[in-house]
Amino acid sequence: MIEQNVIVRNRAGLHTRPAAALVKLAAKFKSEIYLIRDGFAINAKSIIGVMTLAAEQGCELVLKIDGNDEETAVKELTELFESGFGEI
Amino acid sequence: MKQFEDLKILQQKKISVEQLCESPIKLEKLTGGTGIDNNIVDKNIYRPQLALTGFVDLFNYKQVQILGNTEIFYLKSLSKEERIKAFEIICQFPIPCMILTNNHKLEPELLQITKKNKIAILNTPFETTKATYLLSEFLDDQFAPQAVVHGSFVDVYGVGVLFIGRSGIGKSEIALDLVERGHRLVADDVVMLTKKRESIIMGTGTSLVKHFMEIRGLGVLDIRQMFGIRSIRFQKRLEIIVELLEWNEAVEYTRTGLDEEPTEVMGIEISTVKLPIFPGKNITVIAEVVAINYLLRTYGYNAAKVFSDNLQLEITKNIGPKTAFQDQRHISFFQSDNE
Repeated sequence: MIEQNVIVRNRAGLHTRPAAALVKLAAKFKSEIYLIRDGFAINAKSIIGVMTLAAEQGCELVLKIDGNDEETAVKELTELFESGFGEI
Repeated sequence: MKQFEDLKILQQKKISVEQLCESPIKLEKLTGGTGIDNNIVDKNIYRPQLALTGFVDLFNYKQVQILGNTEIFYLKSLSKEERIKAFEIICQFPIPCMILTNNHKLEPELLQITKKNKIAILNTPFETTKATYLLSEFLDDQFAPQAVVHGSFVDVYGVGVLFIGRSGIGKSEIALDLVERGHRLVADDVVMLTKKRESIIMGTGTSLVKHFMEIRGLGVLDIRQMFGIRSIRFQKRLEIIVELLEWNEAVEYTRTGLDEEPTEVMGIEISTVKLPIFPGKNITVIAEVVAINYLLRTYGYNAAKVFSDNLQLEITKNIGPKTAFQDQRHISFFQSDNE
């Protein structure tokens, strides 16, 4: 199991489009992927769940990944966060 | 079940006096804005009877203080100087707020002391017992353990059924199917569970998601708008967990339903059904049957047990001389009814 802190970089925050991109990427992996905000953990493969986080710019989240492909998953998902979902 | 084993339990650490005033308990502020930002950190409430007489050793000053008839009439029985002295003793502690029951008021000289010490004074028309009960219930709920689970929560024939399973297995589709059949959606995807007292788990959605739902290939839908008010509800007690699993030959599924394996959710055991899914299996109908069977059991009828008892009886009957094969038939003589 890997835990990794990530920060929402783009100005508009984790709104519908970035959330969809994130969920699409997360769904590619077999691992269980959770995003945690203030102890509130949601399944990163659920778009409704990800949007519930209502994560604004600068918001720090914890990625919790557990499964066989966790290494690749954490790498690709962190990259997506770092790139600001292509909105920077 | 993994999801419930490492469930993150969230618990409110404090609420402000202002939040308490917004609760359904009829509370009126007697000192305006004084102390309304004070934090309440304890769900218990306290009656400062002995503290008023000067014994403050075990005084739980962090709790909400209730001043009922006893306290008020005791203060009234004192002379003005004694009254101020007694009240100053308790007000030196950082009390979040005091609630006067039976619409009692405080003398102006006492109100001054509370203003100086930034203690909020509220009153309520309810008598002490009623006020205590209402407050306890509210504070109990506010400080209750909560957790978020990934699943779909539906009221099926009045039974709260939570569907869980891996992402994409079809939880939302089952919820949608159930809504189509007249059942009521509580929450989809993000379900917030709250432990109420020591025996009940209540579930609700989140304020953002409400009754929105995602169906793969369609996107986000609003169930309340599509199916109307009768297709939703805000809250429901969690009674059964249905875990959807891919069919796996290695896993043994119950065949009799005699032995139950409940799931522990925040320390409370919840009936659980493990349902293997495969093509041609109508999970919605099975979910309805699960709910009806749960109702039957709640009302005292356990089909698995009745069947097992009947079998036991039959076996005992068979001891001794063999009965005719004819006895096996449910109807012993078809007479002339050929329908």
